[in-house]
Amino acid sequence: MMRIDKTMTGVALALALMLGGGVAMAAGTDAKAADPKAAEAAKVIEHAEMARKRAASVDGEWRDTAKFIKKARALAKEGKYDAAIKLAKKAKRQGELGYEQAVSQEKLRIPSYFQSYYSD
Amino acid sequence: MTRSNTKLALAAGILAVMAGQLAVVPGAAAEGNSALEEGKKLAFSRKKGNCLACHMIEGGTSPGNVGPPLIAMKARYPDRAKLRAQIWDASQANPDTAMVLFGRYQVLTEKEIDKVVDFIWSL
Amino acid sequence: MNKVIKSLVALALAGGVTMTAQASPEQDRAAFVKYYKDRFPEVPMEEYPNGVYAIDKVGRENWEAIEEFPPYEPFIDSGQEMWEKPFANGKTYKDCFPDGPAIAAKYPHWDKKKGMVVTLPLALNECRKANGEKPLKYKKGPINDLLAYIAYESRGQKIDVKIPEDDPRALEAYEKGKKFYFTRRGQLNFSCASCHLQNAGMRVRTEILSPSLGHVTHWPTYRSKWGTVGTLHRRFTGCNKNIRAKPFKAQGEQYRNLEYFLTYMSNGLKLNGPGSRK
Repeated sequence: MMRIDKTMTGVALALALMLGGGVAMAAGTDAKAADPKAAEAAKVIEHAEMARKRAASVDGEWRDTAKFIKKARALAKEGKYDAAIKLAKKAKRQGELGYEQAVSQEKLRIPSYFQSYYSD
Repeated sequence: MTRSNTKLALAAGILAVMAGQLAVVPGAAAEGNSALEEGKKLAFSRKKGNCLACHMIEGGTSPGNVGPPLIAMKARYPDRAKLRAQIWDASQANPDTAMVLFGRYQVLTEKEIDKVVDFIWSL
Repeated sequence: MNKVIKSLVALALAGGVTMTAQASPEQDRAAFVKYYKDRFPEVPMEEYPNGVYAIDKVGRENWEAIEEFPPYEPFIDSGQEMWEKPFANGKTYKDCFPDGPAIAAKYPHWDKKKGMVVTLPLALNECRKANGEKPLKYKKGPINDLLAYIAYESRGQKIDVKIPEDDPRALEAYEKGKKFYFTRRGQLNFSCASCHLQNAGMRVRTEILSPSLGHVTHWPTYRSKWGTVGTLHRRFTGCNKNIRAKPFKAQGEQYRNLEYFLTYMSNGLKLNGPGSRK
């Protein structure tokens, strides 16, 4: 009797775990699809990547921008959308700033501290 | 009777206010000090302000000398806003500056800059 | 009246900017030399190949002590072995470089056929590929041994980079290198010039900023920080990371053009590689 009881309990537990797991998983998937933040995170990350590429196209990419985007992607995967969005926004801003920095110097300007050494 | 009562009440009121101030003043000073401490930490940290890379600052070890020593800052910047602007984007005052554009290029957050400015201005 | 004067001044300034931005390579070099002479009047020209130790007396003593038993010596020896060992097809580097191994002063140069600046590491790999060998990596590893041997054999040669006039693309490459040198980049917004021209000799924390004149004479260099010898382009990469810019590819166009410009600036100085640094 005792033995059967134990086995039964074990089976019941296993069943409950499987069911519970299944439910939780389904809920997780639903939450992901339904969470408007998931879509927002994907969008912001995409924009950050575009900004990074634009900066790179004028040799103006900063050191950590790609790292931030990579990390934002990982955060979004874990469902940490707020953190992902925050980081992706930072990366996007870096891309924009790096682009501006490069484009604003399109024309070579010899700095004032060196100018005078060209005379005579 | 009424008069002395009023007087008493007044005196009590003044005392209460004074006591209140006594209680408040040390608290505010402590808060100010810890804010300055935070600013100092940010200024000295290599990953944040790293002011010591280029500037001598009292209390900081092995400072660089690319920029001027940070002393008598209130005399040099009577207007705190001007000092903040210099730290936020030094290229506005001098396009050939070798100073990092801490605000414009987001090396520090706005809050961090405020703390650093408070600290530097206290020097 | 005031307005007229102001616009005249503005015009003159604009003229000045255009003039210096379009200066000839020789004018650039003259300005460079004049600038450093002015900044370090006590330092003779022939000292610049010693880099920061030309201007840092304390650092120099330590450096001279290190140079008594040079840390790059084993790399020279292993480089000589590489140079002499035949490829699988029986040929050697000597077949590619008949004047070798003392060939460092021939680089970098403009290659009209390829339409690009060719550096010594690039030429070495061209030779390997032509002989069916795998190319070597451009920052770390055995290319440094080979370069160390060639540098050692080339010691004393004078830098004499030319910008051939029969191909306008050569001057273009030089101008791109010059533009790179003066362009601010990275989150910290520094150009090469910010540190190594404007502030050469000043201290960042305890580090003294080296002058650009002589920057290219002593590669590959054994850096204590690396614990080994590394290439010039590895150093470029590190510099760019320091200013929080994404580094460019070693031996890519940007760094090759920068090397072309920098080496031209050092024309007349003697090669003294391999080097050793803190």
